[in-house]
Amino acid sequence: MHRSTTRRQYGDEAMTDTLADGDSPDLDSCVRIGSIVSSNSHLDYVAEVYKERDCDRPPELHEREFGQPVFIKKTVDGTEHAVMGVIYDTQLVDPDQGRTGPRLAQDDQAQFTPGYIEERTTLAGVALLGTAEIAEDGTIQEPTHQMPRWTLEVEDTVFHCPDQVTVSFHTVDDQIQLAYMDRLLDIAGDLGSEVIVALIDRLRGMLPEDDPNQRVLDVVEQNVQWQAREQRGMV
Amino acid sequence: MTDRSDVVGTVAGPGDDPNEFVFVTPSDKSIKTGEFITYTVSVEGEPRSVFARVTNRELIRGLPEGFLADPEVGPETVAATLGVPTDDTELYRLTATVIGYYDTNMTTFANPRQLPDPGTPLSIAPHQQLETVLPNLGCETDSTDVTTLDGVAHIGWLLNRPAEATNLHIPIEEFASTHLAILASTGSGKSYTASVLIEEMMRPSSRASLLVFDPHGEYDTLAEMQGEEAFQGADGYEPSIEYYDPERLRVRISELEIGDVMAILDNPSNRMQERLSTAWRAMQRQESRTWGIDELIAEMERIYGDDDASVGALEWRLRRSIERNDLFHPEENVPLDEIVDPGQCTVLQMDTLDQWDQQLITTVLLRRMYRERLDDVRDRDSDIEHPIFALFEEGHRFAPASGEAPSLGIMRTITSEGRKFGFGLGIISQRPSKIDQDVLSQCGTQISMQIKNPNDQDAIKNSVEAAGEDVLRELPGLTPGQAVVSGDAMNTPALIQVRQRRTPHGAGSRPVIEEWREAYDERQREPTQSESADFAEGDSTGVQSLD
Repeated sequence: MHRSTTRRQYGDEAMTDTLADGDSPDLDSCVRIGSIVSSNSHLDYVAEVYKERDCDRPPELHEREFGQPVFIKKTVDGTEHAVMGVIYDTQLVDPDQGRTGPRLAQDDQAQFTPGYIEERTTLAGVALLGTAEIAEDGTIQEPTHQMPRWTLEVEDTVFHCPDQVTVSFHTVDDQIQLAYMDRLLDIAGDLGSEVIVALIDRLRGMLPEDDPNQRVLDVVEQNVQWQAREQRGMV
Repeated sequence: MTDRSDVVGTVAGPGDDPNEFVFVTPSDKSIKTGEFITYTVSVEGEPRSVFARVTNRELIRGLPEGFLADPEVGPETVAATLGVPTDDTELYRLTATVIGYYDTNMTTFANPRQLPDPGTPLSIAPHQQLETVLPNLGCETDSTDVTTLDGVAHIGWLLNRPAEATNLHIPIEEFASTHLAILASTGSGKSYTASVLIEEMMRPSSRASLLVFDPHGEYDTLAEMQGEEAFQGADGYEPSIEYYDPERLRVRISELEIGDVMAILDNPSNRMQERLSTAWRAMQRQESRTWGIDELIAEMERIYGDDDASVGALEWRLRRSIERNDLFHPEENVPLDEIVDPGQCTVLQMDTLDQWDQQLITTVLLRRMYRERLDDVRDRDSDIEHPIFALFEEGHRFAPASGEAPSLGIMRTITSEGRKFGFGLGIISQRPSKIDQDVLSQCGTQISMQIKNPNDQDAIKNSVEAAGEDVLRELPGLTPGQAVVSGDAMNTPALIQVRQRRTPHGAGSRPVIEEWREAYDERQREPTQSESADFAEGDSTGVQSLD
């Protein structure tokens, strides 16, 4: 039950939003989610989510949700690479919040906050998972879950990663892999198990129901959740 | 200098016990519990190989159990998904107990009183070294070709090693003089093991004088040793296997002691006992050793008069218990020089005798042989001028822990004193708890096989000095043919696989199903008999006596 509903959910989304033509995802036409504004460590970046005025097509709420795989394009040594990541945390920023002083709001104008209104923004934490090469046809190849060695730059664009690309990134020799898991758990901290469960849910929804990897993912998910519950003192 | 390629593990530090240490091995060096390992220490300036026995093995690093959640998904698949390497991940911590280094002067193990330092490399003990130092062979080096030694019995090989890799040769002299116990539950190979030992003792290098008390007729295949090449000596020696069937087993009445007679008689009164012992002593003082019941009664009548009521009652009892029993005879006796001889194994087949007769004949034979051995050692005339070894199948019948058996006294005497007179006993039993503790505790060498009964395990623990905890722990888990050898014949207990017999095995269970089917077919072929109708005349007589 659970699996089939999640599958439909993500499947529909993939059809309507990111993949107009269905199968071959074009990495150039992916939705832009935001741009890098700072980093906490080599693997842990902060992206500012695009709003109405930042680009033509800002991401919808579900396109920048918790656990959404993303990628950042990098050209290294003449080859275009996709640095893969995942949204593991979000934070709202309102510079006006907590400011003391008279408010200009009046009865006929409920809100008068000149200048600051556009400064309100949503930040997304992006944890890097690995890298892959971007092929000529816009697909990815040779995915690796090793730690990316390259740093991102401020203002690098963070793209929404289509589900097909997510699956190919997680498939090594026909076997689903989440070899970055220990690093991700470390970066994501308190929400580590949730982000992994979200990723696993997404992968499960994209794989056929009878795929042998489904059961492997079940075991991994159980382990992660159990460990999290143990750490949080539930069991 | 130790060659690192032999190294199977590295010492991590001391263990819980003073003689214990802990070491770590990777998974590909699979070391079983009970394996013998060795390391080098310097004792008085000389490097010595110290032996230790692995007693426990636990996993200290391995894939988490959560990876085993789905039986259809292998843990290595889960590990591969998470990018966890599965090659050489497992690490084992093993506990080992120091046995000691082989002291060539003392020809046994000496404890270095010093545990190996952390980081000491450990190797598997080499086959030849173990063959030399495990049994109590008294070798002067710690690596000798033991197959060239005389008087050793190849009983099997170490269980943890491949078949016939580390062969165990135990010194026959040791167990034949300080007695042997083979303890095992039914079907785990007691008589098989005994036969292996008999075969070894009958080989040209040993030429033992053996006597087997066989209440079940299990040793009738030993005769096939005769004519086998393996048992023939260069000088024309060939073992001789003699079978004594019950018809040839006789007890001369004058060989009985008054206590034996009292025990045979049916509840004699005090007056009868007094009459009988007086007359019996008078008869034994006589020159003639070939008197019978008639002479005994004549003697009683001479002393007490021929109308004494007690003598009359005794006469009836004596005639019923002794004269009508074919076992007793006024003149005939089992000739000792026929049943014991070097290079001869005599099997006394007692399967048709009842237990009481079995005990009596055993008692009388043992007594006579013990007397002869005593005479021989004290330089008097003797029929048996060589050491002998007697093996008792169903040993608890002859030396029971509870209940009366005339043989118990002489068995106790021989097990405690026999060593000095060259008279060894071998007790074979499936019920160690039913054997007299004095007898069992005097058996210097023990071959213990599978024993599950807790009472029997306790009996071994209480009476067998050499049986350490690690030996006892092995007993329930052994399978047929596997044994723990401990005691005087060994420098340290070892777990072995008993070797194949050279002669076919005679004991074992009967093919019940086959026999039922045959019997059924037989019955079907018989013409049907019409049974006479029972018209229920008269009352039922209940259970009918079979007498």
